[in-house]
Formats: sequence, structure tokens, C-alpha cells
Amino acid sequence: MPASKRNPILIAILGAVLIAVALLYFLQTANDLPSFIPGHEAGSSHHHVKHGVAALALGLGAFALAWFQSGPRRSTAE
Amino acid sequence: MTYALIGYGQSVVLGLLQGFSELFPISSLGHSVILPRLFGWNIHQNDPFFVTFLVATHLATAFVLLGFFWGDWVRIVRGMGRSLAAREIGDDADARLGWLLVVGTVPAGLLGLLLEHALRSLFASPRSAAAFLVLNGLMLYGAERLRHRAPARVEGTGAAADERIAASVSWRGALGIGAAQAIALIPGFSRSGATMGGGLLAGLSNDDAARFAFLLATPIIGAAACLKLPELLGSSGDGVRGPALIGALCSAVTAYLAVRFLMRFFETQRLTPFAAYCVTAGIVASGYLIVA
Repeated sequence: MPASKRNPILIAILGAVLIAVALLYFLQTANDLPSFIPGHEAGSSHHHVKHGVAALALGLGAFALAWFQSGPRRSTAE
Repeated sequence: MTYALIGYGQSVVLGLLQGFSELFPISSLGHSVILPRLFGWNIHQNDPFFVTFLVATHLATAFVLLGFFWGDWVRIVRGMGRSLAAREIGDDADARLGWLLVVGTVPAGLLGLLLEHALRSLFASPRSAAAFLVLNGLMLYGAERLRHRAPARVEGTGAAADERIAASVSWRGALGIGAAQAIALIPGFSRSGATMGGGLLAGLSNDDAARFAFLLATPIIGAAACLKLPELLGSSGDGVRGPALIGALCSAVTAYLAVRFLMRFFETQRLTPFAAYCVTAGIVASGYLIVA
């Protein structure tokens, strides 16, 4: 696989992970979040919606970047 | 029984103030912290009812901006759609501007989500807001001084202006300008001032920098307001919705007048008068608050 094609796949995987994390934030209370995820708080019934929005925005951004990088040719914008 | 926590007279004053100070580079948050204290009103920026009130006025400002630049937004979104279909941005100025706005909005949004509460709590006092207002003035003046050279003004608004912005602002520049908006989480610093100053340093003329700042402001103000909409519609909005509606209408009127005025103003003028105002107002307010 050419090196230039690896990045989009890695970025897309990162995007998928971030969207999964976003779903966790939306669906689980702070108590039910895995302890390694920021926002975990034992005994709390709070939903970290803002954390979820941030993870979702980053995930969608990663998907957009992967989409452009895997296109027929790279953007000449920069 | 519910009590009006903000009176209708106060909501008119604060709505009018919020509408224009949100778009003028003079810190709406700073003014909404300082002025109630100067007027002797028992309103503090971290009061839940005041946050709810601000949500309504911000939403109104975002709608005004969206309406004012509606034609541009339609063009920009279409350009982004073209770029997604083609999987490249290429020379499409509308697409590039759209993605520059995305790149500028994401860091501002993330920093806002992460830092808003901490910064607002830390710098909640009118005295610190007045001191930061002085620093905001120095920031505006510094941006005018530090830019390499004011580019010769080129005639043309709308699509032509967007092409100039897309050609002048780099991805890294958009990221920096977007992140700079986070400074406005500190009462006294202006979000539009930070983005206009950033635009100047990126090589834009004053009117193009203002245009970019307003386009960048629309999603961030709108998203921030929408995120807090449950507070307006929920129990914390009880007793505030009436004044909030009046404040939002007043805010919409002054936001419209402000954006019209500023787009004309920056065709020939610079940030310097606002810098002078912020320094003067900050010093006068600081002096008054210390003495009082």
C-alpha cells in the first residue's frame, strides 16, 4: 500500500473511534463511562453532552480529512 | 409564583447592548459584566437566569448574521458540496472558504466547550473585565500595527470578497484565527476583535477581515446558543422567557444595524477607534469600580 494511502485509513479509523466515544458520552452517564475516558465520575448521573459534541466534531472533521486525502489527487490549497 | 429576575426595562437595555457589542470588537461579555455593576443592577454573568437571557440574545444575533450573509452561505455550502463530490477543493474559492470556516470553527468550539466554565468563573468580576477591556484595546491596536502593510482596497463585495479571503487565509491561519476566538471566553476580550485582528495579520484588508470574522461568528454563536437552548426552554428559563424574548428582539435590531454599519465602516476605516474606545472605557470603568 502506498504511504500516501495509509494516512486516510488511519485518520478514518481515528474518526470512527471519536464518533464511538461521542456516542458513549451521549448514551452513558458519567458513572457508567469507562474509567480511562475523561469525565468518568463514580456515582454521577450526569451526561457529558459537551464532551460528546466535541468528540463528534473531531470525528466528523477526521472523516472529512480522510475523504479529501483519499481522493483522486491531493488538494493544492496549501 | 415566578419572579421577573430581569426587568423588561433591563432586558431592553441589555438586549440592545448585546446586539451591537457582540459584533463590534469591544467585548459583549465584558460590557454585560461591567454595565450592570455600573448601573447598580443585581445581575451577574454567572447567574443561571442571566445565562439563559444571553442564550436568547445570542440566538437572535446568530439568526441576524445568517440572514445578512444568507446568499454567501448558500454559495459556500454549495461549494463545500461540490468539493465533497469531487473529493478535492482545488481552485473552488467557495469550497475553500467553507472549509476554512470549518477549520476555524472547530478549535474555537472545542476550546469553548472545555474552557468556558473555568474561564468565566475565574474572571467573573467587573474589575477584571474592565482590565481585560484595556488589554483588548491593546490587542486591536497591536493587530493594526503588526500587520505587514494594509493591502490596497479592491472593489467588490460578496463572491469577489470571498475569493480574496479564500486566497489570503492559509489553513494554519484559519486554525489560529479560530483558536484566537477562545480568548473571548475571558470577559473583556472580544471574539470579533480577535478574529478581525487575526484576519489583518493573515493579510486581509479591514473589510475582508470583518467579513471573515462575521462568517466565522455565525456557526460558533449559533452552536453555543443551541447547546444552551435547553436552559432557556427548561425550568431555569422560568420567569426569564418574557424578558429574554424582548432582549432577543432588541438584540436582533442592533445586531442588524451593527453588521450593516461595520461592513461599510471597515471599507475605509480601521480597528484603531475601537482600540481607543476599549482602552479609555476600560480605564474609566476600572477607576470607577475601584473608587466605588
